[in-house]
Amino acid sequence: MALLRDKAPDWAPDRTRVRTALFVAVLALLLFDVLRRLLGESLAPSLLTGYLWDGLVFGLVIGLAGVGLSLTYDLLGFANFAHGDYISVSAFVGWGSTYLIAGLGSFDPLNLFFLGVGDTVFPRDVGVSVTNTPGAILVGLVVAAVGGAAVALLFDRFVYRSMRKSGAIALLIASVGVAFTLRFMLVFLFTQDSFGLTVGAWAYELPFPGGTVNISAPELLLVTVAGVSMVCVHLLLTRTKLGKAMRAMSANRDLARVTGIPSERVVTATWLVGGALAGLAGFMIALFQGTVNYQLGWTLLLLVFAGVIMGGIGSVYGAIAGGVLIGLVTRVSQVWIPASFAEAVGFAVMIAVLLTRPSGIFGGDSL
Amino acid sequence: MSLLEVEGLSAGYGDLQVLTDVDMHVEAGEYVTIVGPNGAGKSTVMKSVFGLTDRMGGTVTFDTTDITAMDPEEIIHEGVGYVPQTDNVFPPLSVRENLEMGAYILDTVPEDTLQDVYDRFPVLRERASQKAGTLSGGQRQMLAMGRALMLDPALLLLDEPSAGLAPDLVDEMFERVDRIVESGTAVLMVEQNAKAALRHCDRGYVLVNGENRYVDTGEALLADEQVRQDFLGG
Repeated sequence: MALLRDKAPDWAPDRTRVRTALFVAVLALLLFDVLRRLLGESLAPSLLTGYLWDGLVFGLVIGLAGVGLSLTYDLLGFANFAHGDYISVSAFVGWGSTYLIAGLGSFDPLNLFFLGVGDTVFPRDVGVSVTNTPGAILVGLVVAAVGGAAVALLFDRFVYRSMRKSGAIALLIASVGVAFTLRFMLVFLFTQDSFGLTVGAWAYELPFPGGTVNISAPELLLVTVAGVSMVCVHLLLTRTKLGKAMRAMSANRDLARVTGIPSERVVTATWLVGGALAGLAGFMIALFQGTVNYQLGWTLLLLVFAGVIMGGIGSVYGAIAGGVLIGLVTRVSQVWIPASFAEAVGFAVMIAVLLTRPSGIFGGDSL
Repeated sequence: MSLLEVEGLSAGYGDLQVLTDVDMHVEAGEYVTIVGPNGAGKSTVMKSVFGLTDRMGGTVTFDTTDITAMDPEEIIHEGVGYVPQTDNVFPPLSVRENLEMGAYILDTVPEDTLQDVYDRFPVLRERASQKAGTLSGGQRQMLAMGRALMLDPALLLLDEPSAGLAPDLVDEMFERVDRIVESGTAVLMVEQNAKAALRHCDRGYVLVNGENRYVDTGEALLADEQVRQDFLGG
């Protein structure tokens, strides 16, 4: 924590300036290349717009997950590695509920809730999609949020609470343990298989020079849910007594205590909010990818961390900005390199940003 | 019965005992300061009253309630306000939000008390929406006092309010504390600026090595040859 928050040492400004110049130069070069390709018609505008749209959607999910991670980091002072597995668990619980609602009456409820593990129910038979079964999707979304909050609270009560006075490293290691516990509980219940979730949903084909850009119903839902959640978090932090107390506690724990802010209650609320956001992100990422497996959150977590660190760790707005940036970068980079390198590019950009702005885009501003 | 009664208090941090058998009392509306050399345990007395140390013996009674075993959260409810020496504002919160946090234990922010605080420190009204982190040292100290006054406490604990202030602001600060006392709030203050503090207060305690050495009115302590030589630099 201290390492990441430290001010740059004295010699940094000059080097940072050189790095910034390099960074800007590379960015300009890439932009120039994109323009050249667009004009030379080797890159269709529709394709580039597709990348941007896809990147924004993906980035918003990462941002949503990052806000939860950032909140708990800020109040409790440790990076919760189990956050990714909160995402996975809530995705399973949420989608189980969606299947239960959508297929009730036609299939065995238990098989439905377990997403047809052991090939008992198949996605094409249940026929879930945002446009076919909107009610089931919404119920699943709510259950995922509640599930995420419940898991977060549960592990706080049984693991983290008794360790409040331990250092950040001890808590971090405990969180890795929690992560493994959850992940292999999922393997125990759902095996290591990937589950297809949805059938094709309605999509609008936006005509664009060089082809069309697909804007699908799930993507629109995702952008709406992410946008609304982020606005709600902003209002929570700036307009409500509880949110102000969260910011106060993250700024100065000791002073919050002598001011009479009940720290345990605020910590509980923070876990609930962070867990619910993880739940929403889990449900949405599964919807976005169309599949879910036990590693869903864990693989996402690396990118979430990249986004949070790039945005300036501990800053909620930085987490959103960093997440969206990661999303855009991983998609737009496909102009030059294959999609399988997307994550590597995300991390490369994170490193580049940290070299030029060591404390992140929104670094220094807490909450 | 005094407003605050400290009897035979021993306290410290973990295995480290700082205070031994300290007796102290503050009457309602009284202005009391604690002076003494560095490391004498002045701040520890204050922290012990507010429940921030490990108490090892003795009793603390506030307004006839035994608060010896209470947490800070509970002591605030009894009507004691505490202003720490440093880090006493929430920098990323606005000035107004800082004051709102002072009234956290109430269901709603008491608008009239807020206006009283603004009247007392007009600069806080001017900068209400500015982040506390952008305030000067003197303004921060006002905000910290304002935050503690939001609950209209019967006793205000001030830990070195002049620490870190520019010399010309120190007198102003003492006058502000005078006015807080005039409005009926009792003040228990720790000060390194011993002479000035003793000039302003009703009564003073000289604390040495975690024990009371002298108690008297401020003037009497200032006039005392022994106290002057040992603690006030002649």
